Amino acid sequence: MFWSKIWFFFVAVTGAIALTIALVLPRPPARAMVTEEHRRLTVACGVIGILLTDDARKRVDLTGAFARSEDIIKALDAASGADRLDEGRMKTVRSTAETVMKGIKGDRQPDFAVLIEKRGRVVARVRLDDRLFGDLASGRPVIDDALAGYLRDDLWEINGTMYFVSASPVVKGAAEYVGAVVLGHQVTNELAKKLITSLSVDVAFLVGENTTASSRTIALDQVALKGGVGALSGQDISRDCQQNQPFPLRAGSEELTGLVSRLPGEAGGKRAFYTVFIRRPVELGFLSTLGAVAQNDLSFGSFPWIFVGGGFLLVLGVGIALMLLESDRPLRRLAAESVRLAKGDIEKLAEDAHPGKFGSIARSVNIHLDKVSREAKAAKKDLNQVLGPAPEGSLGTIDLLAGALPAVRPGGPGPAALPPPSEFRFGESGAQRAHPRPATPPPVAAPPPPQRNTPTSMPGVTPPATPANARAATPPRPMPAVAPPGPQSQGIAVEEAEGDAEELLEDEAVEDAPAERNDPYFKQVFDQFVAMKKSCNESISGLTYDKFAQKLIRNRDELRSKTGCREVRFTVYAKDGKAALKATPVKEE
Amino acid sequence: MSMLPRVCVVLVCLAGEGLAGNVTGRLDLPAPPERPPVAQRGFLDRTENPLTPVRPVNVGPNLVAVLEGEAKPQAPGQVRWELGGDAFGKPLLVVPMGAEVLITNTSGMPRTLVALEDPKLIAQGAITPGATKSFRAAEPKLYTITDKDVPHLRGRVLVVPTPYFAMVEVSGSKNEHGTFQIADVAEGSYKLRLFYKDGWIDRPDELVTIAAAKRNVEVPVKVPPGFPLRK
Repeated sequence: MFWSKIWFFFVAVTGAIALTIALVLPRPPARAMVTEEHRRLTVACGVIGILLTDDARKRVDLTGAFARSEDIIKALDAASGADRLDEGRMKTVRSTAETVMKGIKGDRQPDFAVLIEKRGRVVARVRLDDRLFGDLASGRPVIDDALAGYLRDDLWEINGTMYFVSASPVVKGAAEYVGAVVLGHQVTNELAKKLITSLSVDVAFLVGENTTASSRTIALDQVALKGGVGALSGQDISRDCQQNQPFPLRAGSEELTGLVSRLPGEAGGKRAFYTVFIRRPVELGFLSTLGAVAQNDLSFGSFPWIFVGGGFLLVLGVGIALMLLESDRPLRRLAAESVRLAKGDIEKLAEDAHPGKFGSIARSVNIHLDKVSREAKAAKKDLNQVLGPAPEGSLGTIDLLAGALPAVRPGGPGPAALPPPSEFRFGESGAQRAHPRPATPPPVAAPPPPQRNTPTSMPGVTPPATPANARAATPPRPMPAVAPPGPQSQGIAVEEAEGDAEELLEDEAVEDAPAERNDPYFKQVFDQFVAMKKSCNESISGLTYDKFAQKLIRNRDELRSKTGCREVRFTVYAKDGKAALKATPVKEE
Repeated sequence: MSMLPRVCVVLVCLAGEGLAGNVTGRLDLPAPPERPPVAQRGFLDRTENPLTPVRPVNVGPNLVAVLEGEAKPQAPGQVRWELGGDAFGKPLLVVPMGAEVLITNTSGMPRTLVALEDPKLIAQGAITPGATKSFRAAEPKLYTITDKDVPHLRGRVLVVPTPYFAMVEVSGSKNEHGTFQIADVAEGSYKLRLFYKDGWIDRPDELVTIAAAKRNVEVPVKVPPGFPLRK
């Protein structure tokens, strides 16, 4: 599983990197877009400043032309020579000025005019406060300069409206100043729209928090604008657009980016400025970028499908291969071995044959098998406590009759070695795994065998796997050639016990039912016992079948009650040169 | 009052009038100062008109001659000052100490005036068109009167501790001559000082003496170039 883990780690890291790239990738173009947006605002702001300056030049020229009107010169000359200004003169001059204004050609008609005599008093106003006259206007710098002979422009804020104004002296003849004229052009929404015609931005003119004109009817965030104007520094307001940074601006729910530039003149002293703003581009994140993908972006011509597909197949193939090598195949091997263990083909799982965790599983199973074995041994010890100590090498069976085993077992030689009594096996089938029973009783060996304490090579008598009805069906049962203490059939567990045969034979007889004593199985055991006695050159005097059978029955019942077994199997063998008898309880699981 | 005291008063007055003299000043003015730069230019710099040279700065409305001596203003009375809307009728108003200045708004626009040097000098509140507002100049000082909403409206009130002062009238093609006349100057010695716009001109003060033998005094005054002011 090591390489599989490495591969999964590699795939996860690759995925994380891909996700990071997908999330980060839209940001550089977003930054570039913001930079481009700022550049566009700066350019637009500067262009608007240039357009306003150019417009001021045209207005000053227009005012100069207005001031050179003969009617205007005559009217102001007459007013300058008068001791006082009266309403009649005012109306006359106003009418004259109105006539001259109407004669102005072009699309930039002035919205008002002020005519001032040479001492600075207003002779007449046209189209704005046109009933006022006689007041001193010379305090206004632009008028004071005009009375002195200068042409110049200014910005005024009158009753919440911003005006671009221009002033010119009125000269009579070649040397005599007779007054000055001021023309005003209102800053209107139309002017704002005209300014941005080719700029793809919007512009608004404000005095303080009052929007006087805008290319869009929009309520701009005054707090942001105030902050933007507050950030402006330096005396040269013509560099505001270049020296200041665009800032976020809101208008209702609309997200904008704005740039401000201060306006000059009198209105500038009242915090007049203009702002250029554009809609803030939507920042494209990962999902938004996906949403913006067009069908053409995924075509074969513009997307490396072969590369992506090949990479996918490579990653998938390597992953599957590692799964097969490190997981599927070892698992199948373990499963197959487990089946063989279940079938009894093997006794333990081969721990070293399985890599990694599969070896751990095999070890765990083996440990459990050992644990079960130990518990079985512990159960035998309990039987020994009940039935007395077992003879040496008897592996927990009760040696009922001391005696030597015959050299040759009935039914042929026994196996060289027997599996430990605690090992359990599952038979392949009940018929196949049933304890084999010879069709005929095994012949009793004539010569006494060498002394052997192990029951592995002794002949035995196998009790029926089922109760008496089974035995009744096949009487008399032959002794098996091999009498292993293992299970007799599938689902049956066998535990053996040995008892002292002499004691058994010497005990008082117990009266049993004659029918039980006549059980051919007991007769068979008795015959084998007699034969073993003879083969061991022991006397059989006093040994009667009834007494022997009663003892067997009594011991069988005793074992049944103590161990809960169904049947007890008796085995005849030789021990220390004497015939011995072993009782083995047969317990069905 | 009996006849004797009345006669005495008349004689004293006649005697006093007989001792009063006139001071006439003839100023040799330098070239007028340059027009100050535009404080709040528009989109363009101002340009001279192509028809005729621009007019020089008229220093007359801002130039005043003052005789300072031991004589103090007696019953200075009331001085009227016209507020013409965007400017005062006189950019510089000279008043004797203790005089009451009465401002009359002759324009059609209300103004709220304040003295920058003493915000409490003028009572709060706007002066509506046609209305008046007054204040008393209690100490010799220069006050700058303005409207904070109309910063270009600016007038100066010079309070002097003497009853003898006069505005200078400028003449000549290049405003190179100036004259002033102060009448009814009591006998005594005085220092002649010139005030221009924002301060006293930095020059040696002339000593003017009015005596019985010489009641009419003509003082030639030379003003340094550039109208330098004392620090």
